[in-house]
Amino acid sequence: MNAMVEIKDFSIQLGSFKLKNINLNIFDNEIFAVLGKTGSGKTVLLESIAGFYRRFSGNVTIQGKSVIEIPLEKRKIGFVYQDFGLFPHMTVYDNICYGLKIQKMDKEKRKKKVAEMAEILSIEHILKQYPGTLSGGERQRTALARALVLNPKMLLMDEPFSALDPATKQSMYEQIKEIHKIFGCTILFVTHDFNEAQIMADRIGIMVNGELRGIRKSIDLFKKCQDEDINNFLCGNSRGEKDAI
Amino acid sequence: MKERTHLFNLFEIISIITAAVVVVFTSVLILTIIVRGFPYLQEAFLSKEIQFSIKLSLYTASIATFICMFLGVPTAYALTRTSFPLKKLCQIIIELPLSMPYLVLGLSLLLIFSSDLGKALKELGFRVVFDKNGIILAQTVVNLPYVIRFIRTAFQEVDERLEFISGSLGASKWKRFTTITVPLSKNAIIATIILTWSRCLGEFGATLMLVGATRMKTETLTTSIYLNLATGDNGAAMASATIILIISFASLFITNWLGRKNSKESRMKDVTLR
Repeated sequence: MNAMVEIKDFSIQLGSFKLKNINLNIFDNEIFAVLGKTGSGKTVLLESIAGFYRRFSGNVTIQGKSVIEIPLEKRKIGFVYQDFGLFPHMTVYDNICYGLKIQKMDKEKRKKKVAEMAEILSIEHILKQYPGTLSGGERQRTALARALVLNPKMLLMDEPFSALDPATKQSMYEQIKEIHKIFGCTILFVTHDFNEAQIMADRIGIMVNGELRGIRKSIDLFKKCQDEDINNFLCGNSRGEKDAI
Repeated sequence: MKERTHLFNLFEIISIITAAVVVVFTSVLILTIIVRGFPYLQEAFLSKEIQFSIKLSLYTASIATFICMFLGVPTAYALTRTSFPLKKLCQIIIELPLSMPYLVLGLSLLLIFSSDLGKALKELGFRVVFDKNGIILAQTVVNLPYVIRFIRTAFQEVDERLEFISGSLGASKWKRFTTITVPLSKNAIIATIILTWSRCLGEFGATLMLVGATRMKTETLTTSIYLNLATGDNGAAMASATIILIISFASLFITNWLGRKNSKESRMKDVTLR
């Protein structure tokens, strides 16, 4: 398989927080989850892959090209933040249409594309509303529609399901998998939810204190290893989940 | 628990009383001008001198505001969205005039434009000292640091992640600026324009140093107040002050109206934080 993203010896210092010596390959058409506690550096890793930061050591490449050498507008990355990052001064329609307008797509084609996306994500009824009036699930669908309408090579999502209720989460898992089949893009998302990572991802990277300590297939997530921090993290979480149940 | 609630209420009461004192004091200030100036207002509007000062004030304040925005917006963008050597020092230099008395700013302008440079500019047809160009320059120099500070704060409040997302959707830096940064700081920009215009209208110290106070030549509304008070014509002075007050009221009203008109509907609109 070809590597969509290659990260080599990547380190970055942000204030007192440091992401240390990350090495990772993410393959074409793969769904990859980055799993870790709050503050472990998941979001920083995701933003680094997207090229948010310019001062770091090591290398991050997308399809063989250094990410910071590709202008942001030409990276073809879809990014969905935890709070979805919708443009508050635009309606849902204008949010989804934004990238198409930038591409100077014909108005009729734009309308058709937005309508298609809205149908796939079941948000036809909210197209005229502003983000401030939407529920968490509607915002997430809008953010996804906005990112996917441009057929990105890669979709990056920062804890995209954390603000949703359990029922909406379940339906979104299905929907994202369906979207992955339709659009065939590489999906990278960060989460602290083991269940979510296992359901959604092909492979899972485990972050502990700013380091990527392990990469596993999702079915092997709970296999014991020699890294005590990972074992503690996995056991602690699974025990917590069982207690909660 | 009961005691905490009691303390909180006491704090609320004290804050309301303080606000009431401020409101009464400000109202007295405003009413004094209106009551003393209103009887002379009709006469003032018919006076050629006042008409001249109104026109000159509106003209110079509008041009100075335009120049302030023209220079201030790109400067604020550079300070918030770009990185360059000695940026912090540049910011300190730009905002230094905020803490300087306007008379001192006017004096430095006078020294610059009375020098050989000023004389050379005068020979090229650009008169500053004792000319209305000087009024525009003084108003610009005094207000530019405020404009940069206000716009810089407005740009800082725009979530940079939204600009990043906009870029990831294909927008160039210019498009990100025009479609995300500017619309999201629109209210602050409009408020800055109106407040700058009002401040230009009320500028006096630096203008007096640079262009002096000459009737029907460099006589803005504030200069008119000064000249009329100096010659004992208190009525005309009060009338000029009332006109400035009316213009200030109008600009404040427009600022608030635009702010309310542009506020987006939100699920939280009916929620009061307790």
